[in-house]
Amino acid sequence: MRLVLYTGKGGVGKTTTAAATAVCAAARGVPTLVVSADAAHSLGDVLAHPLAGEAERREPQPVADRLHALEVDARRAMERHWGRVRDYLISLFRYQGIEAVVAEELALLPGAEELATLLAVQELAESGRYELVVVDCAPTDSTLRLVTLPDVADGALRWLLRLQQALSAVVTPLARSLVPVPLPGPEVFRDADRLLYRRLRGLRALLSARETSVRLVVTPERMVIDEARRAHTDLSLFGVACDAVVMNRLLPEAACAEPFFRDWGVLQEERLREVEEAFAPLPVLRAPLQEDEVVGTERLARHGHELFGRREPGAVLGRAPRLRFTRAGTGYQLTLSLPGASAAELDVTKVEGELLLSTGRTRRAIVLPRRVAALDLAGAKLERGRLLVRFAGGAP
Amino acid sequence: MLLLTGKGGVGKTSMALATALGAARHGHRTLVLSTDAAHSLGDALGRPVGAAPVAVAPGLVAQEVGVLAELDRAWSEIQEWLRALLREETDELVAEELLVFPGMEELVSLRAVREVEATGAYDVCVVDCAPTGATLRMLRFPDALRVFMENFFDLERRGARLLRPLVDRLSAGRLIPREEFFEAFERLYREVEDVRQILMDGERTSARLVVNPARVVVEEARRSFAYLSLYGVATDAVVVNRELPDGARGGWFGRWAERERREQAEIAASFPIPILHAPLHPREVRGVEALDTLSRQVYGETDPARIFTRQRPVRLRKHAGATVLEVDLPGASKEEIELRVVGGELAIRVRDAERLVALPATLAGRQLAGSRFEDGVLRIRFRP
Repeated sequence: MRLVLYTGKGGVGKTTTAAATAVCAAARGVPTLVVSADAAHSLGDVLAHPLAGEAERREPQPVADRLHALEVDARRAMERHWGRVRDYLISLFRYQGIEAVVAEELALLPGAEELATLLAVQELAESGRYELVVVDCAPTDSTLRLVTLPDVADGALRWLLRLQQALSAVVTPLARSLVPVPLPGPEVFRDADRLLYRRLRGLRALLSARETSVRLVVTPERMVIDEARRAHTDLSLFGVACDAVVMNRLLPEAACAEPFFRDWGVLQEERLREVEEAFAPLPVLRAPLQEDEVVGTERLARHGHELFGRREPGAVLGRAPRLRFTRAGTGYQLTLSLPGASAAELDVTKVEGELLLSTGRTRRAIVLPRRVAALDLAGAKLERGRLLVRFAGGAP
Repeated sequence: MLLLTGKGGVGKTSMALATALGAARHGHRTLVLSTDAAHSLGDALGRPVGAAPVAVAPGLVAQEVGVLAELDRAWSEIQEWLRALLREETDELVAEELLVFPGMEELVSLRAVREVEATGAYDVCVVDCAPTGATLRMLRFPDALRVFMENFFDLERRGARLLRPLVDRLSAGRLIPREEFFEAFERLYREVEDVRQILMDGERTSARLVVNPARVVVEEARRSFAYLSLYGVATDAVVVNRELPDGARGGWFGRWAERERREQAEIAASFPIPILHAPLHPREVRGVEALDTLSRQVYGETDPARIFTRQRPVRLRKHAGATVLEVDLPGASKEEIELRVVGGELAIRVRDAERLVALPATLAGRQLAGSRFEDGVLRIRFRP
C-alpha cells in the first residue's frame, strides 16, 4: 500500500496534481483513493464530482473505474476518533460535577480537527481497500504542523503520565476524593494510552514509513520555491521522505511566444534549473499550464499522463538522504549519507542559512534549521560514505 | 481595519500592499501587517521587513508578525514551560520552530491585531491574512478559548496551587506550571476577547475577498463569504485579481480569455457587493513602484480605506413582537445549515464551519421557536 501526500504553498495546484495522479494511476490499473485533508476542500470542485454533501462525506465515493474520492469531514472524523476520548472525559468530569455539554465543545480546540483528519486518512490507508492512497494536504505550514502534532500530543501525554506517577506516590486514594479538582487515577492513563497514545505513535510510524512519500508542488515563483526548500529540510528532520517535486503551471512554448509573456518564459527556465539543483537527487516533474482549466476526470487523466509520462504515478520516484542533526557539545552535528563521494572532490561551505555542498559534478544547497543557521561551520569530514558536518557556537 | 483574505495563491499579499499604499497616499497613517510565517511582505516589497515595524513608503509602515517572531516575546512563560517538557526526552534536534502548538498561529494573528489597535498610532491597518482555512480557525479561536476559560481554567489553577507543594517535594516541581503561567494565560484570554470585539465591529473592520477568475477559486470564495458572515465579519468588496489584459487575450490564450469572461459573470452573480478589478502583470509584482501601479489600477482615485459596503452580517430584530436573530449567509443552501442550542449559546453550522453565538442576556435561556432560510438570510425566532 502506497501513501502519497501532496503539499505546497497555497494556490500552487496541489489539489489538481493530487487528483491527476489518482486519475492517472487508476486509469493504469491501480485501485486508488484520492482524499482531501485540506479543511478548505477543493477536491470535489476539481474532480467536478459532488463530494461535499452529507451523504457523500460518509465514505469514499466511486468517481471512475478503480477510483474513489473523499473529502474528509472533520466533524465526522472528530466523532469517530475523539468520540471515545470525549465520552471518557464526559464520564470523568460528570463525576466531578461538570456539565456533559461542555465536554462536547472540546471539539473546538485547535489541532483536534486536523489530528482527527489525519487519523481518518490513516484508517483509510490501512484498510487494505486501495493499493494507492493520494492525499491532497493543506498548505505546507499546516501540513508540517500536522506532522509534528503526534509529537506534541505525545509530549502532553507523557507529561500527564509523569504527573500521575509523581502524585500516586504522595496522594492516597482517600485524599484524592477530598480534593475538589479532577485528579486522574491510573485508569485514566491506561485508557489514554489505549485510546490515544498508541494511535498517535501509529500515525508517526505511518508518516515515516518507507511506503509513504511526500511530494512538494511548486510554481516558478520565488516565494513558492523558497518555502518548498525549507519544507524539504523540515520534513526530513521528522523522518518524512520526499520522493519528487512537481513544477506546476509551466507556460508551454506556444504561450511563451505571446509577446506579453516572453519575460515570463525566460524566468521560468531559470527557476526550473534552480529547483532541479535544490532538490537533487529527487526528480522534478513538469506540469504544463493547460489552455483549459484542468477540471473533470477526462482533463485530469490527460494532465496526469503528460506529467508522469511512462513513470508509474504511485511508485517511489526518488530518494534523498535524510538529514539528521544531533547535539554535539554546545553545537550540532549534521549527518548526511553521501555514498560514493570522495574527500578530494568534496567542498563544504556555509552561506547564511544554507549549507552548500559540491562534490565535483554536483552541487547541492541545503536550507538549515533555524537553530543551526545561527551557528558557524566548525568542520566537515567524510566517514564511510557519510558526511559529518559540525556547527559550533551555540549557548550551552 | 481591512482583512485581505482568499484562497491560497490568489495574490492577497500584492493586494494588501496595493491597498495599503493607496491608503497612505490618501493621507492615512497606515500599517500593513502579515502574520504569515514566510516573509511575504518583505519579498513582495523587495526589501527586508521584520517583526519590528518599518517605514516602507511615505505614511506606510510594514510589519511581519510571523509565528517565530512571536515565540521570542512577552509571554515566554507559557512557551518555555511547554517546550522544556517536550525537549527533555531527546537529544536529537527536532525542528523546534515547528513545535508550534495548535492554536499558536491563530493566537499570534489575533494578538498582533490587538496590539495595533492599542497603540493608536495608525488610522488604517491592512492585514494580509492567511488563506481562508487559517483565517477561519483564527475566527473560531476566541470561542474555543472562552469555553476552556469558563469551564476549566479556574479548576486547573486551583489544582495547581494545591498540588505544587506536594510535587515540589519530589523534585518534580517543573511538572506543574507556576502561577505566572496562569496569569499569562488570563492576560491572553482578555486580549483575545478584545480582538473579537474589534473584528465584529462593522464600523471598523471589513474583509475584502481576493479572487482570480477561475472556477475553483470562485467556488471557494463563495463559501468564504458565507463563513465570514457567520462570524459576524462584514465583507465590503471582492477584488478580482490577475485578469488577462486586453493585449494578451489572443492566440494561445484565446480559450483562457473566453473562460474568464464566463467566470466574471459568475462572480458578478455570486457577490452582491462592489467588485474591483486588477490585471495580470507580465512579471511578478515586486517593489513599491510596481505595487503602486497596481494600487491605481484597482482603486483608481478612490480611497482604498473607505468602507465600500456597510453590512452587519449578524443582527437582532424585533418582528411582530418576537425577537429574531438574523444571519446573512449568502450563497449557502438550506441543506448545509444546522442549528442547535448548546447551553446558553446557539451553535450555527454552515457546511464545514461552526460557530457558537453567545446569546444576549435578553435571549439567554429562551428556546428556539423556529427558523427559516430565505434569500441568503437565516432568521431564527425565539420563544417569548
